[in-house]
Amino acid sequence: MSYLNNPAVVMDNGTGLTKLGFAGNDSPSWIFPTAIANAASSNAKNTASSSSTGGAGLAASSTGGSSAASNPYFTNATSTTNFGNLTTASLMSNNLSGKRGTEDLDFYIGNEALTASQGANYSLNYPIRHGQVENWDHMERFWENSIFKYLRTEPEDHFFLLTEPPLNPPENREQVAEIFFESFNCAGLYIAVQAVLALAASWTSSKVVDRSLTGTVIDSGDGVTHVIPVAEGYVIGSALKNIPIAGRDITQFIQSLLRERGEVDTSLRTAERIKQEYCYVCPDIVKEFNKFDRDAEKFAQYVVENQDKTRQKVVDIGYERFLAPEIFFNPEIASSDFLTPLPTVLDQTIQACPIDVRKGLYNNIVLSGGSTMFKDFGRRLQRDLKSIVNNRIAETERLSGARSTGVDVQVISHRKQRNAVWFGGSLLAQTPEFKGYCHTKKDYEEYGPEIVRNFSLFNMV
Amino acid sequence: MVGNFVILPLNTKYRGPAFPANSDYDIIDECLDLFRANSFFKNFEIKSPADRVLIYGILFVNEVLAHLRPHTNYNEAVKIATNVALDSFTIPGTPGFPLNTVYSVPVQDHNAMELLRTYIQQFRQELAMRLLERLYRDSRDHPSKFWLAFTKRRFMNKTL
Repeated sequence: MSYLNNPAVVMDNGTGLTKLGFAGNDSPSWIFPTAIANAASSNAKNTASSSSTGGAGLAASSTGGSSAASNPYFTNATSTTNFGNLTTASLMSNNLSGKRGTEDLDFYIGNEALTASQGANYSLNYPIRHGQVENWDHMERFWENSIFKYLRTEPEDHFFLLTEPPLNPPENREQVAEIFFESFNCAGLYIAVQAVLALAASWTSSKVVDRSLTGTVIDSGDGVTHVIPVAEGYVIGSALKNIPIAGRDITQFIQSLLRERGEVDTSLRTAERIKQEYCYVCPDIVKEFNKFDRDAEKFAQYVVENQDKTRQKVVDIGYERFLAPEIFFNPEIASSDFLTPLPTVLDQTIQACPIDVRKGLYNNIVLSGGSTMFKDFGRRLQRDLKSIVNNRIAETERLSGARSTGVDVQVISHRKQRNAVWFGGSLLAQTPEFKGYCHTKKDYEEYGPEIVRNFSLFNMV
Repeated sequence: MVGNFVILPLNTKYRGPAFPANSDYDIIDECLDLFRANSFFKNFEIKSPADRVLIYGILFVNEVLAHLRPHTNYNEAVKIATNVALDSFTIPGTPGFPLNTVYSVPVQDHNAMELLRTYIQQFRQELAMRLLERLYRDSRDHPSKFWLAFTKRRFMNKTL
């Protein structure tokens, strides 16, 4: 049992970015886009016969012996031995699929995929849409490369902790289990809900005292922002809300502001860097405009370096510093179809939950994801939500005449916020109990894929 | 008060019917302070009659900005702004004004309409000059590009 002492692998596949690493570390070892670049010519064929070709390619890796099969993945899958190895394996089926088999290895993931897709021969695909896996064939290859080329591990020797979005259908879990147990032959598997892991990650904050799994998670990544109430480790699915405003919208809003001003460089890349380096949340936009008038130091400059570094372009940065994150609190300024501010959505979400957990949900609001990293984001959210709640309490007191005991609103920011989900996973998977909660290869063989429909919860206290 | 358009006091040297304000901060300062923030909004809830003056002021600021170019210097800008302010304009509430759902004025009453017209005239002149003070605070050669960027924003999706 060689795997007993190996750290578990923690994989968090998001719509935008994938976080990879080993349990016990405090940050992921690899973060790269959840993107895969396939050879463009075979793309149409691949999607048509996706299940069969994907199966053939992976059968080669699992039957051909672990070390021999994983070896080609260390290089960029172009060595001759690799081709020979695979064609012999798939020649057994028929000649045509043998040819297709070599094309199957012709793909890149992550940043390499982005580079490769700039050439003519590859087309870029994002296997995850809105948090859920859309293309299982692509996802399988993405995992395959993640394990063998990035993590460089033998799946037989490791337990895996994967993440899933809230309300993920159980069929998707089964599909994941099939891939991990049958294609990769992994030792054990645990699939955790992202929001629950984000709650666990907040235990590192000094403000958290009781390590409960009750709270509201605001998870804002690139594509969408979720507001997820969690009670005792279970997501309250009926109350969960999504907001179509997230990192990408902020970047685009900055870009539009730069364009209106006619800056020399208005690329999305520049807008994104400005977002990451200069933006913050202000308490009041009218006052903030005046602050900029009084204090010229508030304006900043961002230098765009050319690739050859011969010419430098200087972009002035103005009001977008505080206007960009403001779209969470006043969506009206950037979009015309979604107008509800984040604090209001948060309040509605919690109000839709059972009454006995609401206090716990107000009391433990946890931020997660890159788009919650703006300075003072948590503070503004707490202030706005508090005023909504206090207004309602005052109104009820006026109508009923009874005194309320008050509701404590607390938004928790912590240092691990950016990769909170991954970090929470790392935290849980390093505990000695973790392996007991996993389903092992043996369980899978005995009961079949439906075993992963249920996972027991962590009790960390 | 003419119709629902309120005649607020102004601090100005331009001739007109407005009373001098008794504080330093008048509706014109408020227009200029709120212009940038409000330009981003397409909806605006009117809570008091003064808000109608504010809406007119914000739309007018946008109008003046639209006439300026990135290299217009201060002296040229004064000429342009004066022309814009004195140019023939439609009075809110009369046919041709873009936001007539908000304003209602007694069109029949000649005296009241004349009062309103001269007040708005005075208001436009003072607002235009004070806007230029802010635009050219840093340099007299060209207007602040951060202000000029708001030309393309349309408050409540309307322009004068």
